[in-house]
Amino acid sequence: MGNIACFVEKYNFTDPREVGALQNFKFTAEKMGHRFSFVFRENLIEIPKYDAVFIRATTDPLYTAYIVSKTAWELGLKVVDDPKSIQICGNKIHLYELFKRHDIPHIPTIFLNKEEFHHKKITEIFKTFGRPVVLKAPYTSFSRYVEKVACETSFRDVAKRFFRRSDILAVQKFMPTAFDWRVGVLDNEVLYVCKYMVPKGRWKHGVKRRGKPSFVWGRTVSLKRENAPEKLKETALKACALVGNGLYGVDIKEFDGNFVVVEVNDNPSIYAGYEDLRNKDVYSKIIAYLTD
Amino acid sequence: MLVVSNIDLTLDSPIMKPSTFLESSIKDFTLNINNDYRYLKTGYYVSLHAEVLGNSVIPPTENIIDAYRTPILLLRASKAGIPTTPFLIADSVKQIISELNFPVVIFAVNPFSYDGFKVAKNRNALYRAFKSLSMNRKFAVCAQPFIGEIISFKSIFGKCEANWPAKRIAEDVYRLFRIPICKLHVQLADGKAFLCGFQHIQKEEITASDLKVLRGEISHLLKDGEHLVG
Repeated sequence: MGNIACFVEKYNFTDPREVGALQNFKFTAEKMGHRFSFVFRENLIEIPKYDAVFIRATTDPLYTAYIVSKTAWELGLKVVDDPKSIQICGNKIHLYELFKRHDIPHIPTIFLNKEEFHHKKITEIFKTFGRPVVLKAPYTSFSRYVEKVACETSFRDVAKRFFRRSDILAVQKFMPTAFDWRVGVLDNEVLYVCKYMVPKGRWKHGVKRRGKPSFVWGRTVSLKRENAPEKLKETALKACALVGNGLYGVDIKEFDGNFVVVEVNDNPSIYAGYEDLRNKDVYSKIIAYLTD
Repeated sequence: MLVVSNIDLTLDSPIMKPSTFLESSIKDFTLNINNDYRYLKTGYYVSLHAEVLGNSVIPPTENIIDAYRTPILLLRASKAGIPTTPFLIADSVKQIISELNFPVVIFAVNPFSYDGFKVAKNRNALYRAFKSLSMNRKFAVCAQPFIGEIISFKSIFGKCEANWPAKRIAEDVYRLFRIPICKLHVQLADGKAFLCGFQHIQKEEITASDLKVLRGEISHLLKDGEHLVG
């Protein structure tokens, strides 16, 4: 019998579908004969008591989740997401450097250094990628800090904002599609496949409502993993192999039958009725991995 | 060995600027000299680029991330036998008060505060310190008992101007994390020293004597090779 700690923050309990998924994890773990407890920030002192840690709070090397992950790792516990995965996936520059180095098909990307942030470089970028281009901060998650810009003024505005935290940004070619593939991968195997639809008239899956703090999200269409294109699954597995063998959500765009990786995410969203709709064993596979 | 630095070292050997290195694909043992290695800053990206190229690098990115996160710094240091104070990752003032006695020293565990620490000698001061370092209760903090006096000093390749036993801590921290330039916060009590925090330094804080130490260490490494450090 394993004793699993699930590290969560209060915001993990705001969306009923996420709450449903967390309850499913607990129910499945207990059905498999394990203990499954939710651990919040105030209980971090209890981590050594557990055999495995499953992180559901948002991860980033600068967030508490990294401290939880690294502490568990240093204590020799099984942990999802492991610190190395958080380090790589939490920084898109790291990810794209690896993609470039290992020939993973990905969206054409240029790195913009704070020192070369001037008119000549911006003109060069527009000349290479055309207009608009997508500016991406390395710490992007949930479609935040990814913005489309079509002129030098907005390029400068957005880049200045992103440069406050990072000295390097990613600039990408704008490749609009009706949906992004999301391939869930665990331990080098495909766990689930979905289509993250782009809301009508928008260009990404999650878009902030104008003047409001809330987001509009596109639909999630789930597929049985065996029905997904083989080439898609191969591309996802190849990209994940560069990061590690944990749990990942790979975003992929399809263009004329070719698949290009948008990014590999650690800590992928798992919402009841979305990612698990056609692949009901998502929960048991993750629990089995944690307690293996 | 390739030396990449944002500091004017005026060495005989060639030194590459970080921006030039980031554009390059040079495969060589990389010594990354920077006053600021914080995550997402240029010093971090130089080490990251070197690692992606397959180079051995000082300092490695994993150590950079860990050293700047106080609870991980203390956990890894204590595992390596470096004296540290006990610590608590706390989400509320109530939790700190229930676990530690006053005075306490508080370090931030959030993505935005990097500068130092606050010492709280009573409940009111603790509320103020907690509010400020947790960014209005949004993030956790790292609380430690305040057992003596806190000294802060620069460490250049583990060499510092502090006296023994703080000097020993600087050497051990460098041996463990291999971060060439940093500022260490150490508590002194009963003739013993305990590591309690880690910080970057400003370029202006680097003095002529620090530059001399830097040049000496780099020349030594260039002469004796990477086996001494890798």
